[in-house]
Amino acid sequence: MTTESTIERGPVVPTGTAPLGLTPVASTSPLLLGEHSLCPGCGEPVALRILLETLQELGIVQRTIGVVGHGCYGSFVRIMDIDVLQCLHGRAPSCATGIKRMRPDVATFTLQGDGDMVNEGLQEVLHTAARGENVTAILLNNGVFGDTGGQQTATTVVGQRTKTSLEGRDAAVHGHPIPVADLVASLDGVGYVGRGTVGTAGGVLRTKKMIRTAFESQLAGEGFSLVEILTMCPTGWFVTAPQGPDYMASSMEEVYPLGDLRPRTKGTT
Amino acid sequence: MQNMASTPTDGRPDEFAVRLAGIGGQGIQLIGKTLALAATRAGRHAMLAADYGGEMRGGPSNASVVVGPPVAEAPRLRSLPVLPAFHAAIVANHRFTGVVPERLVPGAVLLLNSSVVDPAGAGEGYQVTAVPATRLAAELGVPQAGGFVLLGAFIALVPLVSEESLVEAMTSLLPAYRRQHAEGNARALRAGIETVAGVAA
Amino acid sequence: MTAAATPELTLMEGAAAIGEAAILAGCRFFAGYPMSPFTPLLEHLAEALPAAGGTCINCESEIEGVNMALGAASTGARAATGSCGQGIALMQEAIAEAALNETPMVVFNLARNQQDYFQATRGGGWGDYRTITLAPKDVPEAIEHTQLLFHLSDLHRAPTMLYGDPLLAQTRVGVRLEKLDFGPLPPKDWELDGTRGGTGQSRQVWTWAMGKATDPGPGPDLHWQNIAAKFAAINEIEQRSESAHCEDADTVVVAFGSAALFVEHVVAELRAEGHRVGWFRPITLWPFPGPALEEATRSARRVLVYELNGGQMIDDVRQYAHDRSAIRFIGGVSIHESGLSYGPLLDAPVIRERILAALPEGDPR
Repeated sequence: MTTESTIERGPVVPTGTAPLGLTPVASTSPLLLGEHSLCPGCGEPVALRILLETLQELGIVQRTIGVVGHGCYGSFVRIMDIDVLQCLHGRAPSCATGIKRMRPDVATFTLQGDGDMVNEGLQEVLHTAARGENVTAILLNNGVFGDTGGQQTATTVVGQRTKTSLEGRDAAVHGHPIPVADLVASLDGVGYVGRGTVGTAGGVLRTKKMIRTAFESQLAGEGFSLVEILTMCPTGWFVTAPQGPDYMASSMEEVYPLGDLRPRTKGTT
Repeated sequence: MQNMASTPTDGRPDEFAVRLAGIGGQGIQLIGKTLALAATRAGRHAMLAADYGGEMRGGPSNASVVVGPPVAEAPRLRSLPVLPAFHAAIVANHRFTGVVPERLVPGAVLLLNSSVVDPAGAGEGYQVTAVPATRLAAELGVPQAGGFVLLGAFIALVPLVSEESLVEAMTSLLPAYRRQHAEGNARALRAGIETVAGVAA
Repeated sequence: MTAAATPELTLMEGAAAIGEAAILAGCRFFAGYPMSPFTPLLEHLAEALPAAGGTCINCESEIEGVNMALGAASTGARAATGSCGQGIALMQEAIAEAALNETPMVVFNLARNQQDYFQATRGGGWGDYRTITLAPKDVPEAIEHTQLLFHLSDLHRAPTMLYGDPLLAQTRVGVRLEKLDFGPLPPKDWELDGTRGGTGQSRQVWTWAMGKATDPGPGPDLHWQNIAAKFAAINEIEQRSESAHCEDADTVVVAFGSAALFVEHVVAELRAEGHRVGWFRPITLWPFPGPALEEATRSARRVLVYELNGGQMIDDVRQYAHDRSAIRFIGGVSIHESGLSYGPLLDAPVIRERILAALPEGDPR
């Protein structure tokens, strides 16, 4: 019979640190200062993790400034151990322009949702791209305004139910979605554009590679880079958390082709 | 020419306001800038307020220039950017202002480009000088420099600045693609001076 | 100034002088969208700022421009933008944002055809913020104010505004460009330079000031209370005004900016004719120099407010003038036929007539 006194307890090991003698195979990013508070099944924390890992792997953590817009991901400002400007809805590419022009050696990125970048900030992202500003924009695209309760955005796919299109987006009434990454990919001044998804393990790895490519392109001074990341929003989509990835594959991934929309032409990919 | 750095003792206002009136293409803005710049480089307070429409040619082009006292004699200019009175006027073309521009004080010097402006329209009460500036400039082979003929005539009448200072200011104001006109403009200036030589202000 | 000293002047239009003053003040970033009469300032800096080692962007909208300036300023650089009227209206969100996230920058408001006092002082952004606004009366003062605004922005960590107009922007006068020193400033220990990633000491510029999970900030409630208190404190210490002949005046004329230059001229004329008239000029539109106005109008039986609009500054005059019943509005809306500048009301003879019409019969006694 075991009693309290016969159970051996090892030292308390903090999360993210491997027990003595073992090689870590996975770790909580040390750039994360706390847990996120987003919905179960949300794709945005996955995107945040691979973004922060990329910064670490590139060794640029101590020369990075992030510009974060408004959305559920806005709360990431509190848990990212990165110098951050939290900016106005849609304006992140403009703020990033000002930052990069004053600190050209600092890797500068934006973190924006589809409502932020494609609704409010469409002009900003297109102009910043055409101007060839050496910044990297990260678009978290879930086809809804998640933070305000799930209204339609400019990237909501036709047929998708949202709070402002409860019968499903109808092109005749609500128009068509805008594939912003494709628009940006067509502009001169752009160094790299990719579109990925975090709905599957493979998607996560490929998207992480796209983020790395985008930052490498920025660091090589090739111009504007954009990674559009399709992220699950089960709450906004009226589905359950486990249904999120499949639902995304059957809806958004049908409309928004994945892959390198504008490969780097100057450096190695 | 007397020493330009001293305050005039001939009863002239210490802030002398000149109205330039013409149409686009006559060089009104350039001669206004030339006069103001010459005065500034001669160590005087000066002001230029321009007033023109959008057309490159043919629309109204007016300017107001104030030549003030030497810098050491006053901390700043008192004149307003919209002047209530002018002490002289140069009319290169009267189409938009009439022969006698508004606010010209009685007895003021009124210099008219008689190639375009009929001096009979000046009426009584002004010291009218008529100079056929357009014709003179054409005869000199510099048809676009009629404004400088008038400017030369003007400083012969009202010696606010020296001829030399005007030539230097004009040359520095011309953009590189117009610098070849400097010599012709200087000749036009001289011709204007000579035309009114002997006429007292 | 002695007769022996003849310091040299340079003939410059106001917009160029303001641009040069900004460069003298160390401005390294400027973004602007063409809009008359602000455009010459943008054009001047497009050429002069890169030559001075800075960046000037002809941006694609006013909203982008002010947000670029905010981003640049968040790194600690002295940054500015500008526009007028409708363009300034577009910038209100970002001006409020900069006030609430405490980012210094200068906004050059070269207003077009009326005195947009409300726009400058009441703002159109959200929250409890104010915008320190200086209204120079002429180009030499604009050179001083431009440099002072960069200083005040940094001192108070807030966006500030230079209020000008077409006369200021387009008139050429001989000016002296001198770098002015307004005293020590606190270090920019808040600026983002990107070097603190992963240290647990990373910084944020955020209107909600929540801080990091491991180092919480004051949060929106306390932060915004602090901001409101900051502007209340600025109100007490940054008022500026100028006046003359008010001690024995029974009529005081109140005007700001270029209009005040005209009023000063006309009042000098009227005084020489025996009228007991004085003038008062707010130099800071905000903070409005209320106590100074109260003092200047203490013996006035008539307080004549002259502004080129339908009556905006008059609201602040009504708050502070010693005798509210003495206030009369002698200004008005007056637009040039081109739409691009002031109309016939901004003219010394007209102002003179309006002042005389407000004086009692038989003045001067």
